Amino acid sequence: MLERIHKQGRRLLTAAGLALAVAIGGTAAAQGESKEPIVFGGSIPLTGVFAFAGIHIHAGLSDYVDWINSQGGINGRPVQYVMEDTGYLVDRSVATYKKLSGRHRICCYYGDSTGFMQAIAADLNNAKNMIMSGASFATALTRVDKHPFQFIPGPSYSQMFAIILEYIAAEANKEGKKATVAFVYSDTEFGRDPIESSRAYARNLGIDVVEEIMTKPGSVDVSAEVIKLRRKRPDYVIFHGYVLSPINEFMVQMRQMGLNTKFMGTFWTMDRLIIDKMGKDADGFMGVMPYNYFGEDEDGPMYRVMHEQARKSDPNQAYRPTPYVQGWFNAMVWTEVVKRTLDAGKPLTGENLKEALDSIKDWDTGGIIGVPVTVKDNSFPVGRIYRVNAAAGRFEPVSDWIHLD
Amino acid sequence: MDWLFFAEVSLAGLATGGLYALIALGFVIIYKATRVINFAIGEIMMFAAYLFLSFAGGMELPAWLALPLAVLGGMVLGGLVERLMIRPMLGESPITVVMVTIGLASILVGLAEIIWTADPQLLPEFLPRQPIFIGEIYLAPKVAWGFVIGAAVLTVYLLYFRFSRGGVALRATASDQAAAYSMGINVRRVFNLAWVFGSLAASLAGILVSATGGLSPQSGAIGLSVLVIVIVGGLDSILGALIAGLFVGWLETVAGAFFGGEYRMLATFSVLALILIIRPYGLFGTHEIERL
Amino acid sequence: MRIGDAKQSYAADEALWTSTTQQVWFGLLLLSLLLFPFFASPYLLYLACLVGIAVISATGLNILTGFTGLISLGQAGFMGVGGYTVAWLSLHTSLPFPIALLAAGLLSAAIGMVVGLPSLRIKGLYLAIATLAASVFLHFVFVEWASVTGGMAGLSLRSAQLFGLTFHNDFRMYFMIMPLAVLMLLAARNIFRTRIGRAFIAIRDRDISAEILGIPLLRYKLLSFALSSFYAGVAGGLFAYFYRVVTPESFPLSMSIFYLAAIIVGGMGSILGGVLGAIFMTLVPEGLKLLTTAITPIYPQAPVFMSPLLGVVFGVLIVGFLIFEPNGLAEVWRRIRRFFHLWPFRT
Repeated sequence: MLERIHKQGRRLLTAAGLALAVAIGGTAAAQGESKEPIVFGGSIPLTGVFAFAGIHIHAGLSDYVDWINSQGGINGRPVQYVMEDTGYLVDRSVATYKKLSGRHRICCYYGDSTGFMQAIAADLNNAKNMIMSGASFATALTRVDKHPFQFIPGPSYSQMFAIILEYIAAEANKEGKKATVAFVYSDTEFGRDPIESSRAYARNLGIDVVEEIMTKPGSVDVSAEVIKLRRKRPDYVIFHGYVLSPINEFMVQMRQMGLNTKFMGTFWTMDRLIIDKMGKDADGFMGVMPYNYFGEDEDGPMYRVMHEQARKSDPNQAYRPTPYVQGWFNAMVWTEVVKRTLDAGKPLTGENLKEALDSIKDWDTGGIIGVPVTVKDNSFPVGRIYRVNAAAGRFEPVSDWIHLD
Repeated sequence: MDWLFFAEVSLAGLATGGLYALIALGFVIIYKATRVINFAIGEIMMFAAYLFLSFAGGMELPAWLALPLAVLGGMVLGGLVERLMIRPMLGESPITVVMVTIGLASILVGLAEIIWTADPQLLPEFLPRQPIFIGEIYLAPKVAWGFVIGAAVLTVYLLYFRFSRGGVALRATASDQAAAYSMGINVRRVFNLAWVFGSLAASLAGILVSATGGLSPQSGAIGLSVLVIVIVGGLDSILGALIAGLFVGWLETVAGAFFGGEYRMLATFSVLALILIIRPYGLFGTHEIERL
Repeated sequence: MRIGDAKQSYAADEALWTSTTQQVWFGLLLLSLLLFPFFASPYLLYLACLVGIAVISATGLNILTGFTGLISLGQAGFMGVGGYTVAWLSLHTSLPFPIALLAAGLLSAAIGMVVGLPSLRIKGLYLAIATLAASVFLHFVFVEWASVTGGMAGLSLRSAQLFGLTFHNDFRMYFMIMPLAVLMLLAARNIFRTRIGRAFIAIRDRDISAEILGIPLLRYKLLSFALSSFYAGVAGGLFAYFYRVVTPESFPLSMSIFYLAAIIVGGMGSILGGVLGAIFMTLVPEGLKLLTTAITPIYPQAPVFMSPLLGVVFGVLIVGFLIFEPNGLAEVWRRIRRFFHLWPFRT
């Protein structure tokens, strides 16, 4: 009986082996015919502290790639998007980068954190084989000498603060007085990033920074900090380095104390999450956003395309949060850069792609950003101030598009 | 020196300290009875807070129903963990059991991400919202009410431990297992009970902490700051947990308010260093005398 | 089957390899380690370097916790000291890497001794918390002493260099890391043939008895901390050379827990256990991710729901492993070996 099982097992194995060989041979044969794909790679945080954004970034990137392929790819070449989850840990991001770049010829890569972008910079500068952007809006990336092959798909955090401060200065001028501002930020690299340069920028604009509060991430209670702010009574408080908590606590408590402070935030706080979770407490919260929101009254060919593709990929999600738009815009910039390089007849090397990136001047984004954009120092220093309308459940623009320099 | 400011900040600090004390209590109960350091206490807190979110937010139960249910859920979780993961480890070296709790922590975080997604959340409001003014002094309502609830629960605990049979059994097992066995106390049941009661404190603390600080699958990280408190107070002393919790909460807040956010951690760990030098087993901890 | 393992001299009894077969196998292992980078993909090479660094650090922790019984949660802090030392030296001097690594190890060892001072008064989990406190304190220093450590942004290094040869890619880094790992493993294994090693083990088993037998507790406990931190410092230095950037976030508490898990799952109290544990902790998450990659072509949304699942699976693996084999992978290995040694007999 043992022998029978043995024989059957061996037969099964040979059959499986043959089937596998045919399958592999078949796919290999099929592959040989198509054009060499353009590969976009990504270290995407699908789990961990940044997962709430990473999942949508992934959706934005994959939806764009699906769309561009439905249009025949870039100059006829199909686009392939490969990624892996990193849990927002730098060493896993680096591992994913090495794995994917070893396996595919990647020309554009999405990095999930500032830590990753800095860790990989030395390797990237040596290899010179791709350009990178990602979820990091860190000011350090605008140092073109240190990060020649990396860019930010929007304004850096310092530039976001600058846009906010410009708005505050303009509002203060209208009322003919000096504005007072407090910075509230988290004790992380993310949080500390723009503070120093923004202090100086505010001073240049004639804005008084009356208080700077740094909170420990994951702190239980911020009422002591609120007590400090109560004494300074700033006109504006700018939050940075948070996603949701403890902004809600600051806002609710300060309003309960009877302060008329206006609250503002940077990119990652300016999403519908804050309206959904805070409800009417979120009313009046303002901040800077470089893109048009999904589902607004804006218009533009690419804006419409994005909505159609989003509807196609998941009709159950009526609204796509800002990380989705960020992912989509990222892929847009990559496509533009690759297209310009291919149109100039040049190979897809890091230096050529960088050259194409720097050539982006007054580029019409088809409605994703309301004004034509120009790349300066590895970033797109553009944005608009929006305010929460809690009753309507959305963000409404309260300023024109501000394009720095 | 702005005494009003100092008073306000001190009150805020004491209120935070009350919450810390509650968490520390959960930790100490488990350690006292079973000699297990539960590294997953933060995650149990987080899980209970998520349960509250589901009950009060998703199912829209009223807060007075959702809160006890969520705490009950946390207790059940603690009991299950003890039965399934800690009891098989009876007799193993303490570091191995610690590792099991660390593994448990990672399981709970993953489960939370799967069940409730990784989005940051805010708990539905269930505490009164009017700010509290004691004369000129401002006290944030959530924190104050959290402190009141925590203090009430703590008092009930202390009374239970002092006067009820279960409490006596727990204290007996904690001081001498062999003697407790011979007195007819079901030591295994007591272990399970210790975990259940420890999780009760942790769950309640988790809901209160998340009510002020928001909730995400990473909210469990606060568990580690409690380690400092239990060391200062003594790993197996309930009174120590209370006093150390209040003191550390107060000191942290005052240091942060007067010197800046970065000094909070420094203040806490300086106290820790001091205690380790002067009284290494904590203010009220028992120093096990080793015999050969 | 091996019969009659009689030794005829003390040297033979203490020898690390007791039979020709073992020596041959070890030689083959060394040869394969030498040839590996010529055949491996960049990703495998990267993993091998990571495993090398993990092995060194895990062995250090094993010396302290597995062999001397002093539980430490501060491994990441000591690695950080090593990493920052190497980073600073690479930016401000042009020392060749062996000297820089030595300096990193020695500085970590010194700090390790300071952290170990409480070990005379407190034991067990209290000591663990004290080391945790030290780790947090070191983290604070890394962040605040910005003039030396670069603060939040950290330091970027130049590649390691030795007499003009720069180690700027993984291939070269492998040849720095692997030989060091082998040497340090052998050194660790050797320690436990000497008086020092035996003293450590005695302290772990019953330190009061050890003291009565004449082992000066404080000196040996501090030595254990120093040795363990030396290993951690070297591992941290290699980490710095490998990633070419160190930030305060490079050495978080979760890294200390990672190494603790590595030695517990691998098996405390044996050098092999440290190695196996380090390999397990580094490669199993990668293996689990391969599973996701395999499923993705069939089900494109796989990464989104599988990734948190992997965290759960990994936790379950650790917990399950500990419940069923508390003595770790080394014990599993020993059982397999015994099976083959005794075959066809069973016991």
